[in-house]
Amino acid sequence: MSTALDQLNNAEDVAIVRTSNRKWRARKKQFMPWLFISPYLALFLLFTLFPLLFTVYLSFHAWNPVAGLANMEFVGFNNYAQELTSPWFWKAVYNTVWLAVTTGIPQHVIAIPIAYLLVTAFKGTLRHFYTATMFVPFITSTVAVSLIFYSIYSGNTGILNQWLLALSGVPVIGALFAWVPDAMPIRWLSKSDLIKPSIAFVVIWKYTGFNIVIYSAGFLTVSKDLYDAAKVDGCNAWQQFWHVALPMIRPFIFFALTLTIIGNLQLFEEPFVLTSGDSGGVAQSGLTISYYLYLIGWEWLEMGAAAAVSLLLFIIIAAATSLHFYFNGKKGLEGNR
Amino acid sequence: MASVELKNLSKSFGDVEVLHQLNLTVAEGEFVALVGPSGCGKSTLLRIIAGLEEASSGDVLMDDKWVNDLTPRERNIAMVFQSYALYPHMTVEENMGFNLRISGLSKLEIKQRVGEAADILDLGELMKRKPSQLSGGQRQRVAMGRALVRNPDTFLFDEPLSNLDAKLRVQMREEIKRLHQKVRTTSIYVTHDQIEAMTLADRVVIMKDGRIQQIGTPTELYQNPANVFVAGFIGSPSMNLLDGKLETKGKTKKVILSDGTKLNVRSNSCPLNDGDVIVGLRPEHLHLAKGKTEKNTLTGTVNLIEPTGAQNHLKISMAGKSLAVADSTLVPLALDETIKVCIAPEQIHVFAK
Ligand SMILES: Nc1ncnc2c1ncn2[C@@H]1O[C@H](COP(=O)(O)OP(=O)(O)O)[C@@H](O)[C@H]1O
Ligand SMILES: [Mg+2]
Repeated sequence: MSTALDQLNNAEDVAIVRTSNRKWRARKKQFMPWLFISPYLALFLLFTLFPLLFTVYLSFHAWNPVAGLANMEFVGFNNYAQELTSPWFWKAVYNTVWLAVTTGIPQHVIAIPIAYLLVTAFKGTLRHFYTATMFVPFITSTVAVSLIFYSIYSGNTGILNQWLLALSGVPVIGALFAWVPDAMPIRWLSKSDLIKPSIAFVVIWKYTGFNIVIYSAGFLTVSKDLYDAAKVDGCNAWQQFWHVALPMIRPFIFFALTLTIIGNLQLFEEPFVLTSGDSGGVAQSGLTISYYLYLIGWEWLEMGAAAAVSLLLFIIIAAATSLHFYFNGKKGLEGNR
Repeated sequence: MASVELKNLSKSFGDVEVLHQLNLTVAEGEFVALVGPSGCGKSTLLRIIAGLEEASSGDVLMDDKWVNDLTPRERNIAMVFQSYALYPHMTVEENMGFNLRISGLSKLEIKQRVGEAADILDLGELMKRKPSQLSGGQRQRVAMGRALVRNPDTFLFDEPLSNLDAKLRVQMREEIKRLHQKVRTTSIYVTHDQIEAMTLADRVVIMKDGRIQQIGTPTELYQNPANVFVAGFIGSPSMNLLDGKLETKGKTKKVILSDGTKLNVRSNSCPLNDGDVIVGLRPEHLHLAKGKTEKNTLTGTVNLIEPTGAQNHLKISMAGKSLAVADSTLVPLALDETIKVCIAPEQIHVFAK
């Protein structure tokens, strides 16, 4: 026989068990998400955050990696001071920006109309075929591409010079190329004023296809009704493109530009291979920041200075991307569909 | 304003012919509705009239001028799309003024005309918004406004209300009708909803499988449907269509239904020869028989009762068939009760089988 008091006690016991259960469950609920993302977190800490912090740490030290970790010497801001006063660094900055702009703009100016034509003029398989064809340069190894262009650009045996010579012999248009025989052999990769344009062409050739794919995807999202509405509103083909299609792919342009800015400022393989990895080519005309940073670290074995340059590069990219977001972000990111 | 005429118009997509030899004249200022089931070619026809699609053969005339080769702009039509097709990147104001901007009008004039249209459609508050910030009904009104601003010769509507909820649809239907009574611009209105077509249009064109079935005023179509398709399509609830046999004895004509029921029909409304026919009975013309003396009666058992307030919609089982009856007397009935319904001879439709 249980008294009323007993019952009351029992009820309290049950309540205590319940609350502790609830607490445990709440804690489990808090803890579970962390458990699930822990594999990624471990990888992130080990391979992203640690190297990042180590780079920052390194940039304040002088260190020859061959001499071992013990040889690290704190030098304060010396590395930064040294690089910011180095003519090579500023040359590299100039080259990088020059290449970023001259390769960046044409990539998009060419890719957008081609993508538009692909989407509006071709259907199904044919469009996929053309798109895939233009995508091939992007998926081909940059080193292989650069090597092929290295031989195309070759002064005496390169096919580019041979073509120019042949063109100068063609009757009517030959007049346009009359200067070619006198200029032979044109040394595309060993004349300081030709190196950057030669590199730029390879970069444009390689990345335009990638942008075409992005923009094709963009133009495919524009519903056919909008073009019909534009026609009813009196737009000709150009106005349909300019007033309807182009504004509709703004988010895609924004995205592609972001990738181009970040990618172009890190340009390395093309200039490296085309200048044979030799101190940035004649008069460092092909020296980009990434290229320079490679030279400092692995040719001259000054890891501290290399770390400083890589952080400076990071700051440049961050600044360029911020400017891009500041000026284009509002229109590029608006979700008005 | 313009008249629109179609002559022997046909359209094929590849091997599939979707419009067959259509002929239609829309008078200046008239409101014509194209109605038919989904897939019958209404949109295709409208797009051909708009100049967005090319006819495979036949002529499109506007104001008696041959316009087959003209662009939508040159035809001076305005179109309201089912999806509204508003430009997502433009504000309401820019959407409505876009046509005028393309035409090279001055900013001031654009603003003024857009303002006028916005007043008519009560869009004033929304001018600076983007379409994504509008409700379905507001988008619909902007689409209407965009057409209205232009002062076109012809309005083309492609199912403009089908994305709205029922209440809004009725409201917009009224607005469109009022708008047309005000501006009197020639309008061609596509819909699959026969009530929308009947309530809005001066004349209704009924289409099926790319062929015009009948053209007429709403009343004509209701009273004298040309064939079984039109009969079944027009009217709500739709007409009962039963198999029967036509018999002539002297001056009287009778139809005999499959269960043996005999119904008198008016002989002069029935030019058919004796034999198998289809008998059409409108639910609202079937009345519950009061006494034993009523003529032209059908007998069946009550199978379903759907009260709608003003009427009770009944389903009556009759020789294995189900007969819809719209009863306005609201007499209480029990399920499975055997009842008689009667119909006046002149309200019986007879169609060739
Ligand atoms: N561009 C096209 N290519 C091939 N077939 C089409 C095309 N447009 C419409 N059709 C076909 O034409 C027929 C009529 O279509 P549509 O005019 O859109 O019908 P509705 O508007 O009456 O629903 C349909 O069978 C449809 O599949
Ligand atoms: Mg349609």
